[in-house]
Amino acid sequence: MVNILIQNGKIYTMKEAPFYGDIRIKKGRIKEIGVGLKAQKNEEIIDASGLLVYPGFIDAHTHLGVGEEGIGFEGNDVNERSSAITPQLCGYDAYNPNDSAVEESMRAGVTSVAIGPGSANVIGGLFSMIKLRASSVDEALIKVDVGMKCALGENPKRVGKESSRAPVTRMGTAAKLRESLYLTKEYMEKKKRYEDDSKNNESPSYNMQWEALIPVLEGTLPLKMHVHRADDILTALRITKEFGITPTLDHCSDGHLITEYIKESGAAAIVGPTLGFRTKMETRNKTFETPSILHEAGIPVAITTDHPVIPLRELRICAAYAARYGMGQENALKAITLYPAQIVGLDDRIGSLEKGKDADIVLWNGNPLDVFSETEVVIIDGEVMYNKSEA
Amino acid sequence: MILIKNGLTYTMEGAPARMDILLEGGKIKKMGENLVAPEGCQIIDAEDKLVFPGFIDAHCHLGMWEDAIGFEGADGNETSDPITPELRAIDGINPMDRTFEESRNGGVTSCASGPGSANVIGGQFAAIKTSGYCIDDMIIKAPIAMKCAFGENPKRVYSEKKKSPSTRMAIAAELRNALARAKEYGEKLETSKDDPSKKPAFDMKMEAMLPVVRGEMPLKAHAHRADDILTSIRIAKEFGVKLTLEHCSEGHLIAEHIAGEGLSAVVGPSFGERSKFELKNLTFETPGVLAKAGVKVAIMTDHPVVPLHYLPMCAALSVKAGMEEEEALKAITINAAEILELQDRIGSIKEGKDADVVIWDKHPFELDSNVLTTIIDGKVVYSKN
Repeated sequence: MVNILIQNGKIYTMKEAPFYGDIRIKKGRIKEIGVGLKAQKNEEIIDASGLLVYPGFIDAHTHLGVGEEGIGFEGNDVNERSSAITPQLCGYDAYNPNDSAVEESMRAGVTSVAIGPGSANVIGGLFSMIKLRASSVDEALIKVDVGMKCALGENPKRVGKESSRAPVTRMGTAAKLRESLYLTKEYMEKKKRYEDDSKNNESPSYNMQWEALIPVLEGTLPLKMHVHRADDILTALRITKEFGITPTLDHCSDGHLITEYIKESGAAAIVGPTLGFRTKMETRNKTFETPSILHEAGIPVAITTDHPVIPLRELRICAAYAARYGMGQENALKAITLYPAQIVGLDDRIGSLEKGKDADIVLWNGNPLDVFSETEVVIIDGEVMYNKSEA
Repeated sequence: MILIKNGLTYTMEGAPARMDILLEGGKIKKMGENLVAPEGCQIIDAEDKLVFPGFIDAHCHLGMWEDAIGFEGADGNETSDPITPELRAIDGINPMDRTFEESRNGGVTSCASGPGSANVIGGQFAAIKTSGYCIDDMIIKAPIAMKCAFGENPKRVYSEKKKSPSTRMAIAAELRNALARAKEYGEKLETSKDDPSKKPAFDMKMEAMLPVVRGEMPLKAHAHRADDILTSIRIAKEFGVKLTLEHCSEGHLIAEHIAGEGLSAVVGPSFGERSKFELKNLTFETPGVLAKAGVKVAIMTDHPVVPLHYLPMCAALSVKAGMEEEEALKAITINAAEILELQDRIGSIKEGKDADVVIWDKHPFELDSNVLTTIIDGKVVYSKN
């Protein structure tokens, strides 16, 4: 791997005020950030004069490569509708790194995303964090367990109705989720009794669904809850509170109506897809003001495209709208860099330009919140993935 | 802090009288003549006005079938399974539904809202206030009762799916089976208290039924026809569980029997079309006949069947059909509270109870009466001006 020195760029670290300086990349990591860094032996120099240097953008809720572009059923692996409770599914098993959206999004400055199942099921399966590089998902994965997808509101009950099975109401959705968590608890207790005293206790039969939910109840894997309407958000908070866990509130379209409850819960909000038509009743209050209002209330906020709902390449445009509707440019940029990194627990690696972090760096020829700006160079893990001048 | 001055007050604890009412800390603090307003107290002049406790509907589906929206806002009937005691109304109620506002503006301050009648056991009702936007903050008591249904609805829903129950016999059997299994489950839990390895496999349906079979929570039995009412009584007696009769449309045909059993009835929705066979004998005379026979009667709208803010109109039409006026008022205040076992908190204007008070310009049974002020938990939630 070549070591790189980026020189003379205007650096937006996401943690401090922008400054003109240099970044040294070694073995895929940021080795040094400063002013007047001298080139070392075997270093490739990238001249960033006149360019803006940002961390790669992050989207904490997408279906990239799981719901592929330009292809129908054959490339659509988002929703396993055969059962309402499928925690045993892993989104990464359906990720196709050759989906054209991966390359396109990377060229648009997005370097890490969470991928996973859709919202047809009450419990959909595992979300994982990947980088937009590598030809296999195994290499692309950076954190396998960032969230267990759950869904409340219209989608699971609509799918239940179409499939002639539960749930067909919000009550039914809530009950299914609770039941799964209760049964997992019971499964864990049985395992524990067997571990403590294998002579007098039987080991429970292996249950793949409840195995997958154990980390949720242990508090190491957040429930990633698809919620739009205020009552659904509050149901998510009610149920997770009953089990002593903290969810992330994904979409959170009515979040601006109940900020104090969200704030009190300690849950983070991953807001979007806000751009576009209000396709369902439960999105009737959606507005680009939501991220701003939630942020103002002190709630951790990230902005999501929900790719492919909004193409991932337009993540920065979603942030630009949030900025315009009250969030301000600095916070809106953090909502697609630092904040999602913090929400998925990877801010030790991604989300800002700091010594020791992954070298996921993007050089822009203008403000990324300006629609006319373009990326010049995209670096992931210290490797130049895209260079406009060579393209 | 609010002082309501000089209103003709229908406390529901005695004859109407002119008085002042002091509300503090969400409760009715003091009642009497010439009360002095403490410092910083808001004064509402109710001279020439009528003051009532907030009205209560002991059976409706407020927020569960939302207004002006289809499937997306319909969360009352989980038709995937006829036995769903594990369902909780609070997970399906949307307080942002417009009818909440219409209800409190119409003087209805509390209700029991819950699942519909598609299932033999539908789930857990919640007693709530009609003001707020987070259901958890609006709960008076949840769960308050376990919904079950007899007659046409469950057998229609499941025969269409070619599933059980498709007859009244099977409805009764499904309910008996659930009650018997819940009893057994409870006993197993009891005997395995000291040895967790002997615990029965976790069953959320049975867990939800435990308060019913332990006699702590009533079955809220949807029954229109006399035979269905009597089936509900038969089964409740077999299992020694508490029961309230809901709808009770043919109650007037067996009033003495119901009175003899010491049961209460929540009657309605009597307004509107006789849309099914089991409503053949539907009449506004039922509440009056039952009350005269000595049955404790509440009147329901079954919202959204009749919109909840028309609750006083339903009571007034019962008076027109022969019910004593005072009984009809009780049927939407103290009786509803007592049937829900919430009389310590709501249903009358009494010191120590929740400050749910409504000021009217005329008697609420008059069609041209208007709510001037609605107060819930000591807060003005509606003011006409």
